[in-house]
This record gives sequence, C-alpha cells and structure tokens, in this order.
Amino acid sequence: MQKRSSLALALLLPVATAGAGTERFVDDRTGVAGWRYTSGAIRVEVIQRLPDQTRAFFLARGFTREAADHLASRCLFQTIIRNTKADVAAGPKLGLDLSEWRALTPKAERPLLLKDQWQDQWQQRGESQAARIAFQWALFPTEQEFLPGDWNMGMTTYPVAPGEPVDIRVVWHEDGTRHSGIVEGPICGHDSMAREILQ
Amino acid sequence: MSNTNRWTVGFLLLSASWFAGAEVQTLTPIREAPPAPELVLRDLDGKTHRLSAYRGQVVVVNFWATWCPPCIREMPSMERAWQHLRDENVTMLAVNVGEDADTVFTFLADYPVTFPLLMDEDASVTRSWPIRGLPTTYIVDRRGRLVYQAVGGRDWDHPTLLNKILELRDAPAATTAIAH
Repeated sequence: MQKRSSLALALLLPVATAGAGTERFVDDRTGVAGWRYTSGAIRVEVIQRLPDQTRAFFLARGFTREAADHLASRCLFQTIIRNTKADVAAGPKLGLDLSEWRALTPKAERPLLLKDQWQDQWQQRGESQAARIAFQWALFPTEQEFLPGDWNMGMTTYPVAPGEPVDIRVVWHEDGTRHSGIVEGPICGHDSMAREILQ
Repeated sequence: MSNTNRWTVGFLLLSASWFAGAEVQTLTPIREAPPAPELVLRDLDGKTHRLSAYRGQVVVVNFWATWCPPCIREMPSMERAWQHLRDENVTMLAVNVGEDADTVFTFLADYPVTFPLLMDEDASVTRSWPIRGLPTTYIVDRRGRLVYQAVGGRDWDHPTLLNKILELRDAPAATTAIAH
C-alpha cells in the first residue's frame, strides 16, 4: 500500500519542467496529463481531454452523434485560469481575451477556435437549443476578467491535430499592462492514448 | 459500466478534485452596487421564486450546472453554509443553467441539498445577469443590490465567506455599499 501511495504521489507531482513557468503533471487515476503555467498573478492549466470523454460529454448535453464525433476529433483542452492573488483590494485585475492567444507549431502560428465560430457551426447544422446552451457555458469565455481569488474552468479548442504537440502563447492584461508567455509542449488527447491508458 | 461512462465519471471526479484545496476564499466587491436583475424562476417543486420578494434579506444567488466540475465541488459546501445561514435572515438560491428537472433530480441523489434549486432551462434569465462562466455567485444585499461576486468555485462554509455574508446582513440598510 505504501508503495502504491508513493507511486500515486510521484505521478501527481510535476514530472518535468518543460520550460520557464511550465510544469507537466499526470493524474494516476486517469493517466491524462496537464500543463501548468504560472507567471505573476496568473495560473493557466491545460489538461488533456480524451476523444471518448469529449464525445460522451457532448452526447449527454444533446448534441447529435455527428457533432459529438466532430468535436471528439478536434484538439480540446480542459482549461483552468486563476488569479492567484488573495487580496481583493490590492489586485491586480487580470483581463483575458482568447482571440489574442495563439497555437504555435513548427509549421504555423494560428488563433484558437472561439465560441462564436463554433456556435455559428451549430446553428447551421441545426443542433438543438439545449446543446447550444450547454456548449455556450462549457467552452471558456472569449473575454473575461479575474479579480484576486477568481477562477474559471472551460474547454479551449485549437486548430491542430490530436496527438500533435503544440505550444500555446497565452496573453493576459494585469491592471491594463499586456503580458504574454508560452505554455510549452501540451499534447492533445487522442484515441490511441486512451487505449494505452486502459490497458 | 461502459468504458465511456467510466471515463466520464472518472474525469468529472478528477476535475472536481484536482484543484481542491489551497484555494483563495474571496468575495469581490461590485463597484457602484447596481440593482440585481430581476429573477423569477420555479424551483423543482414548481414554486415560483421572485428575487425582489426577498428584499430585506441578504440573498446568495449561485449559477451552476450538473456537468460543471467546480459547481459540483462547491455544492456540498453551499449546503453546509445554508445550515449556518438559513435561520440568519439569509436566503440561498441556486439557478441551474440550461438543464431539465430530470437531470437535476438525478444529480440530487448524489448531492442532496435543501436550499431552493431554480430552473432556467433556456438560460434566458441567466443571460440577464453579468455572468461569463459557471459557477458564478452573487451576494445581494437587503436593498436588492449586487454587492459581491465570486467567479469560480468557493468553499462557502469557510469562515471568511460566512462572516462577510453575516456582516452584510448586520450592516445598516442605508450603508451596505461596500468600500472599494
């Protein structure tokens, strides 16, 4: 039992430092990995989502099989963004606009796929209102402010193939001053990874 | 349980627990303390709740969904907070965003709560509030004004939060605007 506990602890601890500000970690229960970037008052965490997980989530929210499969074939990360400061009066206020973020691969630098773009697709495909409402709240807001102690969790989507490594350039504003950094090396979840974890 | 369901349950639990602990417990004062948007919704028993009818009480208004991991995580702490506050001239309302009653009833089997759960199935009421993500919680003062917000989950029975809510209840009605 002690050995098992030690293993679990080791798996939850950062197992690699992928670059300044980025830690990679793995959950022993599910095998998925996450990447945590911290700088100043902001902490950004992107966590793998496996295609089956995404498919099940959106089917349960009322999406058609076709739309759920489409989402499951894309690169999605569960994303948590937090203002790590504790003093509301002292600030700072973090401002976030995901349209400023970029997915960086050796071949290209591309903007994220944002909520409005997806919703246009769902409208055209005739997805149900219930599905579109759930999607609206499940995806990370394109713009948001975070005061000390505030945080949010939602999916972010990237125009890269599942399994392809990607760096993410994150941009935020601290009391109006623009900052940026790189979350280095996240890898989107993919089907073969799920099979390996389940074995 | 199928593999898909196993993954879904596993990931929800993972997501709910991954970021547990060591979280900052803050309530952010809202500048100018604007009037709270009206909220008229039915609870699971079919009873209509109107926010303005609670004028004279402090009201905690939480927006949530059953698929939202931080919402799930904070729900038991809301129930514990409710046990402290229910006899203290404080009301707690949790607005479910975009789901149906069957879904919420199923959720309650695992997360029983005794404060009113209001249903906003088409999210039309939620859209009239300044909410960007779930969960978000507002504290409405006795004059019906939005005085605090909490973006993201909290431990609602944490003394810091309970004290702020009770201080608001005890503040003279004419002076409940929060210093910024």
